[in-house]
Amino acid sequence: MATATEIEVGRTRVARPTEARTAGSLRWKRIGLAILRPFAVFVPVFLFGTFITFLLGTLTGLNPAYVQLGEAATPDAVARLNHQYGLDQPFLVQYWTWFSALLHGSLGSSWIDGISISTLIGQRIVISLSVAALALVIGIVVGAALGGVAAILQTTWVDRAITGFTSLMSVMPPFTVGIILVAIFAVQLKVLPSAGYISLSQGLWPWFSHVILPAIALSFDMVAGVARQLRAGLVSAYGQNYVLGATVHGLSPRRIFFVHVLRNGGGPALALVGLSLPNLLGGAVVTETVFGLAGYGVFASSSALHGDVPAVQGVLVVSIVLVVAFNLIVNIALNRIEPSAKRGV
Amino acid sequence: MYSRLRRLPSFWIASVLLVLVLLLGILGSALAPHDPLAGGSALLQAPSATHLLGTDYLGRDVLSRLLAGSRVSILGAFEVAAIALVVGTIPGLLSVYLGRVFEWLTLRIMDTLIALPFLVFAVALTALLGNGLTQAMLSVGILLSPMFYRVSRAAALTVSSSQYVEAAVLSGGSTGWVLRRHIGPKVLAPIGIAFANAAGVGLVIVASLTFLGIGVQPPAPTWGGMLASDLGYLAYQPYAPAYPIVLIMLTVWAFNLLADVLRDTSGEAGRILLKKRALAKARRRGRRLQPQLAGRVE
Repeated sequence: MATATEIEVGRTRVARPTEARTAGSLRWKRIGLAILRPFAVFVPVFLFGTFITFLLGTLTGLNPAYVQLGEAATPDAVARLNHQYGLDQPFLVQYWTWFSALLHGSLGSSWIDGISISTLIGQRIVISLSVAALALVIGIVVGAALGGVAAILQTTWVDRAITGFTSLMSVMPPFTVGIILVAIFAVQLKVLPSAGYISLSQGLWPWFSHVILPAIALSFDMVAGVARQLRAGLVSAYGQNYVLGATVHGLSPRRIFFVHVLRNGGGPALALVGLSLPNLLGGAVVTETVFGLAGYGVFASSSALHGDVPAVQGVLVVSIVLVVAFNLIVNIALNRIEPSAKRGV
Repeated sequence: MYSRLRRLPSFWIASVLLVLVLLLGILGSALAPHDPLAGGSALLQAPSATHLLGTDYLGRDVLSRLLAGSRVSILGAFEVAAIALVVGTIPGLLSVYLGRVFEWLTLRIMDTLIALPFLVFAVALTALLGNGLTQAMLSVGILLSPMFYRVSRAAALTVSSSQYVEAAVLSGGSTGWVLRRHIGPKVLAPIGIAFANAAGVGLVIVASLTFLGIGVQPPAPTWGGMLASDLGYLAYQPYAPAYPIVLIMLTVWAFNLLADVLRDTSGEAGRILLKKRALAKARRRGRRLQPQLAGRVE
């Protein structure tokens, strides 16, 4: 049974037979591969995602004349506006125009008021990202704490209580949690505002008080997932012989936990963090409605209801880019922590 | 499979709950004591004898709306899971047999569907395609299809390359017999698990969409729509959202429980689990363990 290093060494030997193989050169090669390989997976995802997005816009058969003029649109006006937005060209030409503009950072302009969509999304994405980022932090911190405690105190009542609590959390959709939080903290206790947003430049607390409830609502699913995965990973890592060996060697429980168990058992939980960003961004649509935030989720649903196709495409493209970028980062982190994950990318 | 399931209490809890919920979905509108759309002069009333769960901001009976709304919410979840099953399983099985180009294409499409922010896409698809219930079910079903694609593909890969299937065919087993005996159980269990999971997720998504007024517009009663209207009157009736929330949570929990039970009892792991349970039970009763008991667990 060849180990990862042996396979890696074998590969480099085939590739560059004359070059001296120091530990340093291998290390850089490995890091380079770890960064490049996820790109090979995510570039097709990006291409397909944007293609599906554009196709979706075309399939709806909506046109700017209908959006701007409604039932009053004459065939003449329809043709004029279609020409103005380049909709009278063949599908692939349209797609190419749209895609090359996209690579230059332009998402086109809204069919409703002609405002640039990058500006519209730029104003709103800050709100959604602050909520999503805070939810991510809560999800990782609380989830890791619950999962870690449950694994250390496994099979005790604490473990069972945490497991029960997390399975309760996992069946609560974000918008129900949001409504419960509003009912408790805004309506009954009156300690936090129930709706609205204040930017960070106006002070930390006002910003935080408006963002914390939506972030908690959004984080429930992730807390439950991270806690469950981390507990399972750590429990199986604790059962390994090397942990027994380390204990026999007299290493401190703290060192065993952080160096041996956490590093080997944390992979699945980290992978789950990578997969959870789509959920956080998607959940934004409902939590923003509950908490009256003018974020990008609300923008997406209202543009979609008004038939503003370029705006919807813009939102979808931005979210695809965010998800792909975040997944790349998580993948690289995963490779650093757990060399074996690299083989499966 | 079924005989193993029957021995677990959590299977009974899950199936009783789901049967009740399904009955609610089918008979809900018939059971409603009042017209779910008819308003009255008594607004935002607390629960009373005439209105068992009180009235909402237009004086409509909450219990009737809850019962009438369960149709869209619950049957919607099953419909979504069924669409995902068809859209996901067929390419999943074909990807093993139809050559590398098809395999690569479907794999990339499924990767993309997983990476998309689910709810944003569901909202965009449904609203752009005409904001109807059919559009909502179709788009959510397509977005959920990777769940089925992955499990059916994995199952087909293992089965198609396994020697016991080859051996069964060589020793004269008919195709039907091989399918029933070897391939069926292998593919059915993971697809059943995925179906329970997908129905749970589908229920949440349908509730979220109706909460946003997408797919079904008010005043048509839905669980999500009730939550949306309750949100505006929390100061008067802080307990009102509890009814739909409890129903949603119970249903999702029942689906998750069913998925867990199916996962625990399928395959070798399930055999071990049930053997352990049988042993523990025998020990608790203080009986001497009979050898047949341990051996009888199939």
